[in-house]
Amino acid sequence: MTLANASKPILRRDEAGGETVRYALFVLVAGLVALFFLMPIVWSIANSFKPAAEALADPVSLVSSAFSLENYRRLEGVGAGWTSYAANSVVVALGTVALTVLVAVPAGYGFSKFRFPGQTLLFVLVMATMMIPFQSILTPLFLILKWLRLQNSLFGLVLIYVTFQLPFSIFMMRNAFDAVPRALIEAARIDGASQWTILRRIMLPIALPGVATVAMFAFLNSWNEFLAALIFLSDQNKFTLPIMLVNVSSGIYGIIDWGALQAGITVTMVPCIVLFLSLQRYYVRGLTAGAVK
Amino acid sequence: MARLELKRVIKSYGNYEAVRGVDLDIADNEFVVFVGPSGCGKSTTLRMIAGLEHISGGEIAIDGRVVNRLQPGERDIAMVFQNYALYPHMSVAENMSFCLEQQRMPRAEIEARVRRAAETLHIGALLDRRPGQLSGGQRQRVAMGRAIVRNPKVFLFDEPLSNLDAKLRVQMRTEIKRLHQLIPTTTVYVTHDQIEAMTMADRVVVMNAGLIEQAGPPQELYHHPASRFVAGFIGSPSMNFLDARLEISGDDLVLVLADGLVLRVPEAKWARYRPHADEPVVFGIRPEAMSGTGGRAGAVALEVTVDLVEPLGAATMIYFDLAGATLCASIEPEHAPAAGSSMTLHLDMNRMHLFDAASGRAL
Ligand SMILES: Nc1ncnc2c1ncn2[C@@H]1O[C@H](COP(=O)(O)OP(=O)(O)O)[C@@H](O)[C@H]1O
Ligand SMILES: [Mg+2]
Repeated sequence: MTLANASKPILRRDEAGGETVRYALFVLVAGLVALFFLMPIVWSIANSFKPAAEALADPVSLVSSAFSLENYRRLEGVGAGWTSYAANSVVVALGTVALTVLVAVPAGYGFSKFRFPGQTLLFVLVMATMMIPFQSILTPLFLILKWLRLQNSLFGLVLIYVTFQLPFSIFMMRNAFDAVPRALIEAARIDGASQWTILRRIMLPIALPGVATVAMFAFLNSWNEFLAALIFLSDQNKFTLPIMLVNVSSGIYGIIDWGALQAGITVTMVPCIVLFLSLQRYYVRGLTAGAVK
Repeated sequence: MARLELKRVIKSYGNYEAVRGVDLDIADNEFVVFVGPSGCGKSTTLRMIAGLEHISGGEIAIDGRVVNRLQPGERDIAMVFQNYALYPHMSVAENMSFCLEQQRMPRAEIEARVRRAAETLHIGALLDRRPGQLSGGQRQRVAMGRAIVRNPKVFLFDEPLSNLDAKLRVQMRTEIKRLHQLIPTTTVYVTHDQIEAMTMADRVVVMNAGLIEQAGPPQELYHHPASRFVAGFIGSPSMNFLDARLEISGDDLVLVLADGLVLRVPEAKWARYRPHADEPVVFGIRPEAMSGTGGRAGAVALEVTVDLVEPLGAATMIYFDLAGATLCASIEPEHAPAAGSSMTLHLDMNRMHLFDAASGRAL
């Protein structure tokens, strides 16, 4: 009797010990994986704040003898200066986000809540354009932009990005609107709401995670895009950040300026990270919308 | 505060007619319950009244005004949905004020109305919560609150209690009834649950396959079902049915069952049933019309072997075979035998029903 009683707490302590070990192991593995992914980012940021000479001489070390903004100042000397390239990138990315959302939301709404002849065919056609490789239509795109007198224009670039962003975005928005129960729309109709009020006050707020996802993908893709920007922009003042990075790394005086390159990478990377982290909650919900229930 | 008229209302989906001509006149403040098996067209009828479904034929009028072409928002009706359909991103107060905002009502009046409705439904403390933070019963109340704030001409309910557990369902049932007494409003309530229909309705409308089988007060449907379908649908457990022949035997009118058993029809019913002599009929008798004690006029004693006994407390259900069918009787618990034993059962033939074997119409 006493023996049996005594053995119980010991057993429990053993179990608790097992739990702790397992948790510690989990933290360790998760920490290692996180470190693996964070390292390049940390390394870039660390190098960007070293004095230029040190960044070049000892790029591996994370700590430096002095904190310096020299690399960022040197970046100012690249072409039109990094701030103007960053401004171009911001204009292009925000323009792409705005236009993509503006088209994808009503399109997704239409595909989700209305029935019209040829609907399925149209939807499949839109989706099928996702399978066209970008490189294969560079020439026609160039000709079209030229014809529209939009070559070497940020707006022209925005139009191209939006075109490539739309199929996925329309698909996302259709799913987001599909996830809004029909009864809610009917309740709103009975409450006397107009089509426009229903979209604005009922559908959009509920489909907001989808909109956030669409906006984030539009931002990231247009922000990081390189090839189209390189081909369609010829004026140095109109370059975006990815093109600036190439110009930095291909060297101003023949040698690669590692410090400036890391500074450029940091500048390019930070908005993406901030955006991703701030929209993360919506983004996960947006991608899984319609998957459950 | 309105009369609701349905005139030969039809709904067809392609070639399929879901509602095949419904005629109904609902009086001001009347509480009408549509009941019937799943798929019989109850919801479709309700949704046509609401304006959520296009009306394929016939006419619906609210207060004498034909509403066929009016949008749902223009019909001055309120609807409570089965899954409540509360706006998930709005607070309870916002849910309730949404329709008033659409009417551009002054803010102060909206708030007063929402507060009054919330008090009526005892949800005053929940006004700032989101629907996701409410229990099923609370959501149900909010859905009703959203309907009553606008003070509509007609309330529509589509199986509003079917998502609640049994106990809450009974509670909300009385609550809806109380609400109707408090705020008398013309009400159409759809359910597949005949107990809900019987307990709540001023008038029950039994639907079957897109048509009204019978409409009347609950007691009338129970005592005088117009068809075998209504007789089987109303009442729980269901009425027992046996194939039989009506025959004149000497001076008596008798029912001959499939196994040759003869039941005497009471004199009070002769005038009514005599014209159908020699016709195949369906004999119907409710479990409640059978008893373990005899002695009543018109009662027929039967010796039966009990297969199954279900004590419910107030009454005991016994099941037995008769003329090739399994019958159920509700008897006094003190007369209940053990399963497998036999007993004498007294059928109150004054409460018998006869239906035409082919059409199912009551004779
Ligand atoms: N949109 C629709 N298209 C085709 N048939 C429908 C549609 N809506 C309902 N029906 C059919 O109409 C009949 C009646 O449906 P309903 O009114 O919902 O029945 P219930 O009495 O269970 O509420 C059912 O057979 C159903 O399948
Ligand atoms: Mg239904």
